[in-house]
This record gives sequence, structure tokens and C-alpha cells, in this order.
Amino acid sequence: MEKIEKNAKKIIEKTKKLYGNSPDLNTRIINIKGTNVGILFLESSSQASTISDFIVKGTLYTASNKNIFQNIFDALKNNLFNSQLFTINDYSQFPYFLSSGFTIIVTDDKDEAIIMETRANLDRGVTESTSEPILRGSKDSFTESHSKNLGLIRKRIKDPNLWFEELKLGRRTKTRISIAYINGVADNKKIKQIKNKLEKIDIDGILDSGNLKDYLIEKKSAFPQIQSTERPDVVSEALLQGKIIIFTENCPFTLILPNVFIDYLHTSEDKNQKSSNITFTRILRFIALIITIFTPAIYIAITTHDQNTIPDKLLISLAIQREGVPFPTTFEIILLTTIFEILRESDLRSPSSMSAAMSIVGALVLGQAAVDAGIVSPITVIVVAFTSICSLVFTDIDFMNGIRSWRFIFILAASLLGIIGILSFAIIWLVKLSSLENLNTSYLSPFAPLEKSSQTDAIYKAPENEILIRPNYISKLNPHRQRRSK
Amino acid sequence: MKKLTLIISFIILSISLTGCGYEELNNLSIVTAVAFDKNEDNYELSFLIANAPKAQTSAKEGEAKTTVYTGKGKTIAEASKDIEQIVPKQVYLGHINVVIISEDIGKEGFLKISDWLLRNPQTRKKFYLLQAKDEKAKNILKIVSPLESFPSQSIATLIESNSETKSIATSITYSNFISQILEKGYDPILPSINIKGDVKKGSNEKNLETTEPESYLVLGPLAIYKGDKLEGFATEKESWAINVLNGGAKEVNYNIKYQNENISIETSSLKSKIKIKDINNIEITISGKGDIYNINNKIDIENYKEINKIEKAWSKSLKKDLSKVIKKIQNKWQADIFGFGNLIYKNDPKTWKKIEKDWNFKYFPYLNIKIKTNLKIEATGSLVKTIKEEE
Repeated sequence: MEKIEKNAKKIIEKTKKLYGNSPDLNTRIINIKGTNVGILFLESSSQASTISDFIVKGTLYTASNKNIFQNIFDALKNNLFNSQLFTINDYSQFPYFLSSGFTIIVTDDKDEAIIMETRANLDRGVTESTSEPILRGSKDSFTESHSKNLGLIRKRIKDPNLWFEELKLGRRTKTRISIAYINGVADNKKIKQIKNKLEKIDIDGILDSGNLKDYLIEKKSAFPQIQSTERPDVVSEALLQGKIIIFTENCPFTLILPNVFIDYLHTSEDKNQKSSNITFTRILRFIALIITIFTPAIYIAITTHDQNTIPDKLLISLAIQREGVPFPTTFEIILLTTIFEILRESDLRSPSSMSAAMSIVGALVLGQAAVDAGIVSPITVIVVAFTSICSLVFTDIDFMNGIRSWRFIFILAASLLGIIGILSFAIIWLVKLSSLENLNTSYLSPFAPLEKSSQTDAIYKAPENEILIRPNYISKLNPHRQRRSK
Repeated sequence: MKKLTLIISFIILSISLTGCGYEELNNLSIVTAVAFDKNEDNYELSFLIANAPKAQTSAKEGEAKTTVYTGKGKTIAEASKDIEQIVPKQVYLGHINVVIISEDIGKEGFLKISDWLLRNPQTRKKFYLLQAKDEKAKNILKIVSPLESFPSQSIATLIESNSETKSIATSITYSNFISQILEKGYDPILPSINIKGDVKKGSNEKNLETTEPESYLVLGPLAIYKGDKLEGFATEKESWAINVLNGGAKEVNYNIKYQNENISIETSSLKSKIKIKDINNIEITISGKGDIYNINNKIDIENYKEINKIEKAWSKSLKKDLSKVIKKIQNKWQADIFGFGNLIYKNDPKTWKKIEKDWNFKYFPYLNIKIKTNLKIEATGSLVKTIKEEE
């Protein structure tokens, strides 16, 4: 707490020094009947027209009022019109308000300051989600504006029990973090745990919600334990289930906690389509998951260790395809998988105009030519391509990366021990997954531990009118989601 | 840091120290068929290797060229070592489809050579066993078939498709055959195979290019064994009857004479059941359904009485045929290929112990075998009436 001096000129000098005489700090002194009124704002983050229209005009209008001789501060406070107007008496809060686009008015006759919102519109509008496209459902997505993001949720959930708790993180960035939940549905213990974890953070800056992830998890794992999304409908759905959302200022991606493995087999569209079809789609996604993790490993295992398991004709066809390939199968697979991962990475980072060229190079040059040159066998290309296509079923990048790391582990296990290696590492994998826990929610819920009442929306999707109860592994409060209609 | 070294060492180990079972596919010579021959004192072992790449063409599925390698030795193991010296790649026995033994081997006793394939940890033991007839077993491997990509495959499909329909052959696996030899009161049979045409022409790839192959493989009649020794070959008609009695043949074609005309009956599910009444009396029931496939124009098959008469004629004719064959086997071969002795052993082990030694000579030839039939004609094909001219 630092007191505000009763001297507008001095305060302006002090602030200019604080900002190192940066040219975007605009100041103005208006003398009203012997009392100096100082106006401070950052040109870069505030809207100059609003300041001229409402503050300067208002101040000058006040000055022209002949009845006012003293108590200029109170007169200004009562005469300026703005929806957000309040006073502070702590100088140390000045930088935060200035940088956030507020205008500060100080006078010689009071040790307080008037704060007015004059923020410049530095955000883009609400646009369609690009990272999580869907066929059927609402298309809007979060933006960089914190209040807009909260507004997109308020718009959807009009219950006053939707509560936001705000804290500021980062010594320099002073990023606003909002914890959103529905009071009475979300588990209070979990909210407290999250708050405790966030309050402990002491860092110079938080620029993205992704920076927070590592502070919020308890056990390390290749698989993500916190879902991030830019879709307000996904967030609203999560809130209704009793999950807790973390909004970060300047970041369109929100964090959803607690998160379990099965959530990655679901999409926001699942609710919007026919439920029996969704069950089938989820089974497909599950098969894709198994394929994308195990296929290269199984291919290595059966061709280098357990040839007995392949049918005769296939074995001979495989053997002939491999004729003349100089590398061991394991190396071949690792080589091609690595090339694919590099392709994917370069495709992500490059502008879209270049991706056409990339796909030609990737498909034709690397695939076709490598086979023709006899560097890799055609079946390996098929295996790797199949694996990659299956991995693209999952949109969450963290989840894809988790799958990838385990795929490599299985490849190495298979090349070392064959099918026995795959099996033993699959057991290790399952043990690791089931021992994973975040916010008292185990990662394989609702399967391990088995929650019978939550099976209506796990792999099997019951018709929407029959899902009466919320998933009880998220929150046990207020379990009824809907009452059976009479 | 500790974790990192662990991971790095794991990667290095897995690439460099690949386990003992590690073998790249293109370093294997995949053996799909094995032939046993005897040449004076030496055994001759032949491997059909399926994955020799075709010269000059790019590798594609089904374009494999097969090669036959032969090794000699005092024992089978020695002969196999002999082959491994010629074959540049590791010989891989995990995918054997077919094993063919020559007549010499059969006459000498099959158990003498059976050990090597069974003892080998790679083999699956579920491959077909065939008897080469009038030909060296090795030559049979050499014949290329225009319909299948390699000989072993063509033999296997030949056996599979023929055993239930054409019914002069039956599919018998290696381990099946051995267990039949070892079982009490059982003499095994084997399907035989031989070559029609010239071996040299049939082993040439040019054989594939003609529309009418110059030589090809045919399944022959059954080989009859007594214990593990080859006794001889049945005739084709006898083989057919043996398969019907054994219950192996289900969809067979049978011709009967009725009112001096030939009628062809296609049976759909022929079954046989052997029942032991006592040591001397055995009853075999043949039951099944048949469709009329070929009938001449004089018979009115819309009349069920006529159909009943045909059924009766069929039963009578079948009974006659079968009992003739059984008599011949009892007297000529004295080999219990139907396993009557085995059934007696299972029903009454004590009695079996007494008669076991003399079974084949004193008891089996004098068994009183009664054949019962339960045959029905179900349909008359797509035609309701017979085709006849208007009178």
C-alpha cells in the first residue's frame, strides 16, 4: 500500500518515471479554479476517443460550472459518466489499471484517484473454432478477451449459481485467472484444492492456460490429465457435469478439471446426434485407439519373433515384400514413424498455402519413392499410414502425443521381446493409467473403479432422456441431472 | 538423469542386443512342404521353399517362385543339416503345409522318421500327410499348378476340397496319423497322391503358361497301413466305400440302377455310426439324405411310391457295395482301418487285453458286420417332373 499524494503534478512525474518515459503514457493537467486535475492513460491500451469525449469534456464541463470552488474531486466523481467508475487510494495499483486500459484522474485536493474504464478494443471477434471443428453444434469459440469468454458462458448458463472466482497470477503480467463452477454441483473440495494450487504459483508471467497445466497435476504421465478446449459449449457441458473450469486472460483455451481418460473418446457432438450411432462411433474410436498404439508393435513382433502366428500366404507375401530391404524391421518402422511425426509437425507450423506442397512431398516422394527404391517395404508404409490415420481420430494434441510416446515404447518392447514384450508392457501401461489420479478422481473412471451408475455415458451412450444422473466420479453433490418426465 | 540413462540404455539394448528369437523375414527360407524318400541306405529329405524371389520382376504378392532342395543322410536330422548347407538363408519350418512320404518309407515303417518333425520346436504339427504313389515323394513337390501360387498350397486345397466331396481321399494330419498308429485296435489310412504326366515338364514354369497343363497332381486311392507299415493301396471304389464307412465323406455322388436305368443321387449329409454288439457282431448304420440329380424320362417322380422304391433300391445297392468292400478288407488286408478293435477296447478293456495280440488275424477277419441304412430322398432338384416327350 502506497499512499497517493495530494499533488497531481508530482503524481504524473512519478508515473512517467515508473514507465521509463514511455511515449504511450499520455498525461494532461487541467486547472480548475486553482486546483490541478491530472489525467493519466496509456495510449496503447485505451481508446483515445472515449477519453476525449467523456473525460476531458466532462472535466472541462465541470470546470465551467460556476458553483464549484472546492471539493473538485467529488464534483468530478459525480459528474463524469461512465459505467465503470470507482476510486482507489493505493498508488501501487496504478500500473495494473493503466496497463489494462483504464484512465486515472487525480486531483490536488484528495489522496484518492478516480478510475474509469476506457479500454481499447484489442480483441478479435467471436469466430468459428479452428482447432476443434464439428459438424453439428454451435460454432462459436472463445477469444482472447476475458470478459467476452465469461460472457459466452453466462449467455449459456443463466443460473446465478454459476460462480466465477478471480485471482491474478504473474508478478509482471498480472494475468486474470477465473475459476468457474456451478455452486452446489461442483465439489467444494476440488475447488479448494485448485485454488490452493494456483495461489502457490509465484512466477513472473502467465501467458497461456497451458502454462498452468503442470501446476495442477499431481502425478506425471504421458497422457493429459487436464482437457483444454476453446469451445464454449464443451465448457458449459463440463460445468453442468460438475467440473471446474479455469479461464485465463488473453487465452482462448480454457482448462477443464477433473479430466478422465474416457473424455478423450467423447466429442462435444456426441450429445447432438442419435445416441445409438454414438455408441458405435465411440467403439470405433476405441478401436482406433488400440490400433494406433499397438499396430506397429504387433507388426514388428509377428514378423521378427513370432512368425508362427501369421497365415501361410500372408507370411510368404510379407517375406517377398521385405526381399532386398536393407534395414531391420524395427528401424524401418521407427524411421517411417519419425518421418510422419516430422511431417505432421511441419504441417502444423507452416502456413496453409504450403501444406499442399508438403503433402505431395510426403505422400509421393517419401512414400512411393522410398518403396520403389527398396529402402522400405510397402507393408511398412501401410502399417505406418494406418497407424497415423487412426491417431488423427483424436483432436486433442496432448492426447495424441501421449499415444505417440507409448507407441514408441511398445515398438521397442516388441523388437526386444516380441509379443511377450508387448503384453508385459501393456500390463505396465494399464497399471500406470489406473494408478493415475487427479483431484481424487482416478483416471480410468468410470471403469476402474467401476461406477455402474455412470455407465450410461461412457462407451455406451444411453438416449439423452435416460441419462438421469451426473457422472458421480466428478462430483457427488446434487446427483440428479433430470427427472423422469411423467 | 537416472531415468534418462535408463531410457537411452533400453533403446540401445533393444536395437543392438535383439533377443534370441529375433529373425528378419527376408533372412528366412520358408519351407511349406517336406518330402521323405529313401535311396538305398540313405534317407532323402526334400524341402519346398516358397519365398525365393522371382528374378527381374519387382516383388509382388503371389509372385513367389518355389525351389526344391534335397539333402541326404543316414538319419533325417543329418539330411536336414545337409540341406541347410545348400540353402543360404535360415531354414524355417513353422509353416509346413504338407508332408509327403514315399512308398519305401511307408514300407519300412513310418515311426522311424516321424520323430524329427515332431521334436522340432518350430513346426506346428497340423499339416497334411500324404502317401506318394508310384512316384518319388520329392517329384510331387516339383509340380507347379496354374491355379495356386505354389505346389504345397495346391496339394492342401486339393485335399481339403476333395475329402468331403469326391471322397476317394481323406484329410489326415501328421499328428492324427501318428495317434492312430499308436492307438489300440486301429490301423491308419493315408490319402495318396501321384503325378499325371511327365515330372520334368510339370516342374517347368512353362507348365503354367499352357491352357492345358501337361502334367498335374491327382489324388489317388487310399493307402492302407497296418501299424506304421504300408500294406498296399485300395482301389478307387474301395476308397470311396472306406470314406463313407468312416464318416469322412458327406457329399458324395452315387449311381444306382433302377428299372435298368441309371439314377444319380447326390447325398448331402451322409453319416455312419458303428455299434458294437459283442466281440463278433458289429452293426454299422448309414444315414443320410439325398437329392435326385439325374433321372431318365420313364419314371414318374411325382409319385411318392416311386420315390420310395428308388430309396429302397439305393439302400440295397449301397449295402451291397459296402459289405463287399468290408469283406475284402477283412480278408485281403486284415487291417482294422475302421477302428472296430478300438471301440471294443473302449467298451470292454478287459476282453480287449485277451484278444489284443490276435485281433488282426483271428478276430478281425471273421467279424460279422451288419450294415443298416436309413436313407431318404428329399428333393428332386430344380425340376418337379422329368423331361419327357408328349405322347
